[in-house]
Amino acid sequence: MRHLFFVAALLGMSASAFGTPSHPLSATVTLAGAARTLPPLPPQLPAWLDSKQNNDIFYKRGAFNFAITNIPALNRDMNGVAVGHALAYEALVTGREKSLETTVWDQINHVLKNPPKFMPTEKSLSPTFGQKYGVLEQVFDWTHVSHAQTIDVLASPRFDNADKDAETTRVWDYYRDEGAPFTVTGLPMNMAWLDSQAYSGAFRRKYPKVNALFWGYHWLQTSIYDGLRDKTPEEQKKMYALLGRQYHDVELYDTKRPFMPMMAETSPLFSAKYPDIANAFDNLHMLHDMVNDILASDWMTGAQKTEQIKRAVYMMSPDAHNGCKPGENRGVIDGISHDHRFMAGMPGMGIMKTGIASEDKMPMSGHAGMNMAGMTMPATPAKGEEFDPTRLMWMPKMGWMDMSQCHHCSMPLTGGGDDPLSAWQNSTISAEGWTMRVRCALCARDMSAETKGGAILSLATEDPNRRVIVFSDERGNLTTDFKGAVFLEEKGGHPKCSQWSQAFTSRAAFDAYVAKNPKFKEAKPLSFEEWANVEAAGTPDTYEKEEGPVENPYAADLKTRGIAPDEGDGP
Amino acid sequence: MKFNTTAVTRRVFAGLFATALVAPFATPSAFAHIAPCPYCAMTITQDTPTQDNEVALRIGRKRIEYKCVYCALAEAQTEYQGDLTVIAPSEKKGEPILISRKNGQWSAPDGACYVLNAPVKHKVCQEQARAFTSKEVAQKYLNANKDTLPGAKIVTLPELVKVSGA
Repeated sequence: MRHLFFVAALLGMSASAFGTPSHPLSATVTLAGAARTLPPLPPQLPAWLDSKQNNDIFYKRGAFNFAITNIPALNRDMNGVAVGHALAYEALVTGREKSLETTVWDQINHVLKNPPKFMPTEKSLSPTFGQKYGVLEQVFDWTHVSHAQTIDVLASPRFDNADKDAETTRVWDYYRDEGAPFTVTGLPMNMAWLDSQAYSGAFRRKYPKVNALFWGYHWLQTSIYDGLRDKTPEEQKKMYALLGRQYHDVELYDTKRPFMPMMAETSPLFSAKYPDIANAFDNLHMLHDMVNDILASDWMTGAQKTEQIKRAVYMMSPDAHNGCKPGENRGVIDGISHDHRFMAGMPGMGIMKTGIASEDKMPMSGHAGMNMAGMTMPATPAKGEEFDPTRLMWMPKMGWMDMSQCHHCSMPLTGGGDDPLSAWQNSTISAEGWTMRVRCALCARDMSAETKGGAILSLATEDPNRRVIVFSDERGNLTTDFKGAVFLEEKGGHPKCSQWSQAFTSRAAFDAYVAKNPKFKEAKPLSFEEWANVEAAGTPDTYEKEEGPVENPYAADLKTRGIAPDEGDGP
Repeated sequence: MKFNTTAVTRRVFAGLFATALVAPFATPSAFAHIAPCPYCAMTITQDTPTQDNEVALRIGRKRIEYKCVYCALAEAQTEYQGDLTVIAPSEKKGEPILISRKNGQWSAPDGACYVLNAPVKHKVCQEQARAFTSKEVAQKYLNANKDTLPGAKIVTLPELVKVSGA
């Protein structure tokens, strides 16, 4: 029955070969002496972009639906998130933009502090916006459904971790294949390029407080995937006690964040396991930012805004990237980037800003040798090549980093050899708003001891579907609900730390490992309490601080926002 | 910043005693990840082969790095409750001043004093707030850096705690 909703839209798609020609509204606008060029709409756009139909698809059926209600605080916070964008968009399109940083911010903030028990429909909160940009709203709504269902799967107490993985894939398939044309592509997109449009940055410059709220709840929406993964319902509640505090106390009000939170920065395991889902959510959030910037650009006419929003929706849609594959870079065609390279070691993250002056005109050499499974990538750019933007990314509070390496000891996360783990099976540590993959249990524990505030350690074991979840309080005291975990820690050089530092689900698993690896036959099996009280070993012998092409690639953008590049939240 | 490291003498016994005292804190020499100071958000100045710069706050199993002793003391008073130790580099490489808070009372080794240029400019706070083993060495530091620290004074621990907690 629901397929009938799409008859008109799908008919429109099939007629897309005869779609809209390049639009005359695209132009070069001169403002205060600076010329800003608005790219034209690509030719032959699919007809669904002009649809006036009110299309909806309901949730995929499943026993997991609304499982988020098992974590009441998270459930209510997620309900609150739905209100924010809707209120801001409605203000922007009804001439109330001057009150965004005051009255509207107060309204949104009030809702976030007192989130509703039930999920409101965004349409009812932003009726004018919905009438004006109906297709865009459908893209948002449909992708938010996928967001919510994926969270429900991870929150569901009815499934074990293996079943959750299978169901997550089915939810994605449903989103992508159910017939809705207004989906967001799962390809990695060049974020630096997308954020270098003529209008980019307008919203965060004009409305820093509201923008902080937006990026704050994008932080929550991206962090929660690894937050929920591999945890029991009880552990999920403990996790959200920590994450929710970070969300309410810090993330919502961080006006100095250089760029929107990315899935791979906050949920690296999920992003490595489901790169297409992670990319789709990042692309959705980038679409939000682009629309915000367009609506906040006073130098554009109403018609130009409508056209640029249409272009933004199209460039995030699978229709715009037919035949493209992750890892490929076909350059810019008809004003749309087809750079689908991803960060080394992280297929769920498109290229980030590097600060190279000619960034948007960077040589578009492809990486034909890249493969998603092994994630092979040259460690350094070939001789004569410019800085390889897939190798390093810059992260607030961390600086330049290589996502294929352990963030504690700088050794490769996935190196083959004796390392049995896949990229999505590494241990992680979550603290201060980020989640980092690390190579071994010691790396996770020692990194948590050197990080301010509470932390969550998710330790890989010999069983890919079971992890030892460890909570650290503000004094570094470690606790776990996992009964019977046994640890190996025979300190040596970090090149082999993934061998000599491991967590096991049982003594039997420890013994089996030692039997297979006789060099550890003298090793003492450590209980959790013994392991948790080992003194931090300090800087690993292999640690190297990465250096990028510039100190901070966001420095110029931060300057236009009145923020010194090395300024944080300090006095 | 200029340092004169030649002037200080000390009995062998005192040297050995101090070494024994700081040994448990000296082992984990540096935070593995070069990151901003949790208080002032500026990049933490790293230790050099001849001079220590990184300040650490030790509480429970945590060892958090700061850019200067002022930053660490400021956070100790707002972010942490209970007993803790601030490990502040002195003029001697590998021999930090251990500033402790126990039962709410602050203490440091006899003779220790601090140079403070208030208000602290956090871009260079590792130069503006430093710990020294004696007043004489602190005065030499002030004399050597008159141009860059025109308003700096030698202060006691209670004075530094008060200013940083204000």
